[in-house]
Amino acid sequence: MKASRGEKIFYGVNYALLILLGITCLFPLLNTIALSLSDIHEIESGNVTFYPIGWNTEAFRSLIEGTRIVEAFRNSVVITIVGVTASMVATIITAYPISRRIFIGRRPFTLGIVFTMLFSGGLIPTYLVVNSLGLVNSYSALWLPGLISAYNLLIMRTFFENIPDDIDDAARIDGCSEMGYLLRVVLPLSMPVIATLTLFYGVSNWNMFMNVLIYINETEKYNLTVLVQNMIKSQSLLQEIVNTGVTDDDQLAIVPESIKSAGVLVIVLPMLAVYPFIQKFFVKGVMLGSVKG
Amino acid sequence: METTTAATTEKRLPRSAKTGRWSKRVLRANIPLILLFLPGALYFIIFKYVPMGGLMIAFKDYNFHDGVFGSPWVGMKHFDTIFSQPHTLNVIRNTVMLSLLNVFVGFPFPIILAILLNEVRRAWFKKTIQTIVYLPHFFSWVIIGGFVVTLFSMDSGTINHWIERWFGDSYPFLYKPLSWIAIYLGSGIWKEIGFGSIIYLAALTSIDPSLYESASLDGANKFRQIWHVTIPGISTTIILLFILSMGRVMEVGFDQIYVLQTPMVTDIADVISTYIYNTGLKGAQFSLTSALGMFESIVGLILVLSANAIARKYDRGLW
Repeated sequence: MKASRGEKIFYGVNYALLILLGITCLFPLLNTIALSLSDIHEIESGNVTFYPIGWNTEAFRSLIEGTRIVEAFRNSVVITIVGVTASMVATIITAYPISRRIFIGRRPFTLGIVFTMLFSGGLIPTYLVVNSLGLVNSYSALWLPGLISAYNLLIMRTFFENIPDDIDDAARIDGCSEMGYLLRVVLPLSMPVIATLTLFYGVSNWNMFMNVLIYINETEKYNLTVLVQNMIKSQSLLQEIVNTGVTDDDQLAIVPESIKSAGVLVIVLPMLAVYPFIQKFFVKGVMLGSVKG
Repeated sequence: METTTAATTEKRLPRSAKTGRWSKRVLRANIPLILLFLPGALYFIIFKYVPMGGLMIAFKDYNFHDGVFGSPWVGMKHFDTIFSQPHTLNVIRNTVMLSLLNVFVGFPFPIILAILLNEVRRAWFKKTIQTIVYLPHFFSWVIIGGFVVTLFSMDSGTINHWIERWFGDSYPFLYKPLSWIAIYLGSGIWKEIGFGSIIYLAALTSIDPSLYESASLDGANKFRQIWHVTIPGISTTIILLFILSMGRVMEVGFDQIYVLQTPMVTDIADVISTYIYNTGLKGAQFSLTSALGMFESIVGLILVLSANAIARKYDRGLW
């Protein structure tokens, strides 16, 4: 069918709107990359928008030499790897029993978990519990209070439940134990949901902000998000870093904007590096989650 | 879920049919399951249910020395304070106002995006745009806060550079209440528009293509097709998601407010979560802010339950 004139206009406008939205989504990122790498004079005169003008990597150098960012990067990696592993193990072993029809008390336990999604004690009472366990200022305070996300748990339980009964029956006849069934049958069949939830936990651990702010007191234990946020908010801190980047003839080599931008990019870059590979899992995850829990 | 599992459980009752007790086989099979479940159960008890019990400090004057149990009871004193002090009332008002704005202003954007994407015929173009618009969902608020400062700050923001060049005077976007609210709403829409559209795109795939053909044969142009075929086709999803988002009205994310807040706008930007953090945790007003948190949780619970009750009328409850 040939497109009429009205349809051509419609498609033209549609494509234009989508391209505009695409640019809007990318622009802040491009602008930040450009500011982190541009020449100080070009930035000050406001010429820098989409791409770097005049190559200048001084911002990254001062960031690495003048701040604890390398340490914070390492902390973020540790927090993420340990946090994701612990969360995944806990989510799997908790989701499996409540997916089994034979499990006594499966309904009340499930309802008990769902209720924590609807009502919570809130920040202060949770802090008091973590404090009384002596976890404040240790990474356990980041890993334990958010160990299992009830939402993720229900996604996994639903996935386990949808494994056909025939497979279960066959495994039983072959003399498979409960643990053997989980490890050798359920888990290999659940790779899609495991991948998706690993990524959900990964993103929330990498982006963790409020819990670090609340529970971690020593600056050397900060992760990237808190370190960079403190840097962005503090003019004096920024100025200190700027002063480390002096050229041979005693001119300042960087502006605060470049430092801020470089700091933000250190958080973004690892994420951008894996984004193309993980995107499809996230889309899948939204669909899994929208299946009635 | 309730109805489907009830039906299937009846088919494979784990109890003995004669005595009504758990059979030995069932009990034996439950031992490994209980062992597996135990750590998770402990987690939910210690970090979810114990804090709920800890809410009793909302009715006490908590001090570190006497602890949760030893501190003296004061009844409703803290709730009276919350509902009589202008400052806390203001914080509650801000929370409700910002989240209502978020729901009402932000809600249509993912729908519009899904409809636009649905009309794209070139697969590679659709995929590229989707890849780009999903990206901001994965950025932490610290990153987006960094972007906002880079773009909108008074003396060095990129946008103010442009405004200076064309109009002469820069504008303090982050320091004026109205423009701050616009940035707050805009940044939320920017972050979630792509990801929010996924669910609508899925709903759109269920529309029968022959409806478009017959509409087109009847002489309906593209806009009429969208109005009479596309939107009715996803209206249940739209209504359902709207009701469910009303259930979350008390939830204003801490991170977003914290990174965007400037000293000049605290009058409208101080919400319950930031107030609890600043006054409760840093200012050691544990009891007062626990009472505020409890108020927030209870209102949230009522909202979610009623939202779900309404959503059930459309046969699509949350659970």
